[in-house]
Amino acid sequence: MESSTTRRATRTTPPLLKDLRTLKVAVFHPDDGDGRQLIQQLQRIGCQVQAFWPPLPALSAGIDVVFLAVRPDSIDMGFEWLKGDDAPAVIAVVTYENPTIVEIVLHIGAQAVLPSPIRSFGLLSALVVTRHVHGDTKTLKRRLHKLEAKFLGVRQIAEAKSILMRTRQITDGAAYDLIRDQAMSKRVTTEEIAAAIINANEILSLGRL
Amino acid sequence: MANKDPIRIGVLFSETGATSTIGRSQMQGTLLAIDEINQAGGVEGREIVPVRYDAQSSPAVYAAYAERLLLQDKVNVIFGCYMSSSRKAVLPIVEKWNKLLFYPTLYEGFEFSNNIIYTGAAPNQNSVQLAEFMTANFGSSVYLIGSNYIYPYESNRIMSDLVLQRPNSRKVGERYFNLDATEKDYRLMMADIRDKRPDFIFSTVVGDSTASLYRAYAESGLDPKTMPIASLTTSEAEISQMGFDVALGHFTAAPYFQSINSAANKRCLERLGERFGSSCVPNMCWEAAYFQVHIYANAYRHAEDDEISRIMPHILGSEFEAPQGRIRVDPTNHHTSLYPRIGVANSKGQFTIVREATRPVQPDPYMVTHSLGDWTTTLSTLEL
Repeated sequence: MESSTTRRATRTTPPLLKDLRTLKVAVFHPDDGDGRQLIQQLQRIGCQVQAFWPPLPALSAGIDVVFLAVRPDSIDMGFEWLKGDDAPAVIAVVTYENPTIVEIVLHIGAQAVLPSPIRSFGLLSALVVTRHVHGDTKTLKRRLHKLEAKFLGVRQIAEAKSILMRTRQITDGAAYDLIRDQAMSKRVTTEEIAAAIINANEILSLGRL
Repeated sequence: MANKDPIRIGVLFSETGATSTIGRSQMQGTLLAIDEINQAGGVEGREIVPVRYDAQSSPAVYAAYAERLLLQDKVNVIFGCYMSSSRKAVLPIVEKWNKLLFYPTLYEGFEFSNNIIYTGAAPNQNSVQLAEFMTANFGSSVYLIGSNYIYPYESNRIMSDLVLQRPNSRKVGERYFNLDATEKDYRLMMADIRDKRPDFIFSTVVGDSTASLYRAYAESGLDPKTMPIASLTTSEAEISQMGFDVALGHFTAAPYFQSINSAANKRCLERLGERFGSSCVPNMCWEAAYFQVHIYANAYRHAEDDEISRIMPHILGSEFEAPQGRIRVDPTNHHTSLYPRIGVANSKGQFTIVREATRPVQPDPYMVTHSLGDWTTTLSTLEL
């Protein structure tokens, strides 16, 4: 069928789009025409919007996205809620794009920038893409933490094995079995046993050359 | 002394090209409303004079004429556009010059402009109702077809989402055709449809090629009693092109059908006959094109001007006794509260209305996830 096109048969609406109506959004923007335009468009999209100016020092629970006006007269943006693993997605609303303002945008860790004056068109896409990026970043951070811990553990086990092999004249396999048996009988992880062995070895080696 | 100068308005529809059947009917709806207003003494004694161009079913021509209307003809308001591509071509121009567009066509939603008033149905005013009706009466396996552009993509996404909420539902096919697709193009698909045996076909094919689709269906020997085509875009105008026998038994959801049995509709159709004879085929887009001029004229009377910042407050929230019922322009999203209906094509080339909203349904153009079931309670069951 040359004149027709078949689209992906499995096309379904992505969850990020379906979520829009349950999204909790905080708008920190002065109460002017621009701020109202932003709030009204978010309400048309169907988000649950709370608006404040100046920005609150603490966020109410469950906020998914924050729109934060970055103004030349409000450059102190060291909010606690911007830090930490549970920080919401942040979209900066800017009226200038000189280096001072862009630096603040970077400093607050914004995932997207919305230029002022605000237009209705583009807001929905910015919102969805920002949440996508924010979600991805969060997942990657979590995996990174896990991998770092895992990597440290592997290094410690290797070092503990070499201590045991050296001090007890046993093979690599036997050293590992020893660590694992200890971990099982004490009901802790092999990483913790390895850390304990390294610690003990350092203490026992004190004063030796 | 009162100003007696005529009021010039821009009218921009396609009188030629692939979507000219609907375009001409929208033009006639617009001209009928202008006639009515002028015959009743105009707007505070001022005559409304349309400045019209033929946009030839081409977005580029729409854009060029829109700019000409605003800059050379110096109108403040344009009535026009059919396909989304034509609206998207005109939108940046009315925004740039801060003028106003009245758009009388159903579309896929997800738009708001301070410079546009939308008087056709949003998906929550036709798709939800159609999905509810079709799945309840025919079953939940659907074959989706459409013209190859954004409105059908989005309408089909919504329809799939809705149908797939039913137990044992299935989407068995999804195909898109060029605007100039012929019967031959559709014939091959009919073979596929016969193989896959959906409970119904959902079509968002638009324009003159609609007739070819229904003809290919009729020739294929499929039966509308067991596997009808359900559409949001096949109106009386398309039926007049394909012939009533070809359309017989297929379904359409729309806020307006010619067969609406109200005094306002009958009077309006009478006047239309007097003005245009039988050359005009009234349909959902015709009706929106008609009532939106009255919305404008009434707002003008209050604002005494059609400069956007002065007239807009009088448009938003305003109501009008339209042929479909009393409609209202929603102040928050610039779309219109309308009356969803479902019709089945009959042997007169008209629709027999089988479901009808008893109250207007508010427009919700940014609704991503529609759900079945929250509309039927307000519907009256007429027959079937």
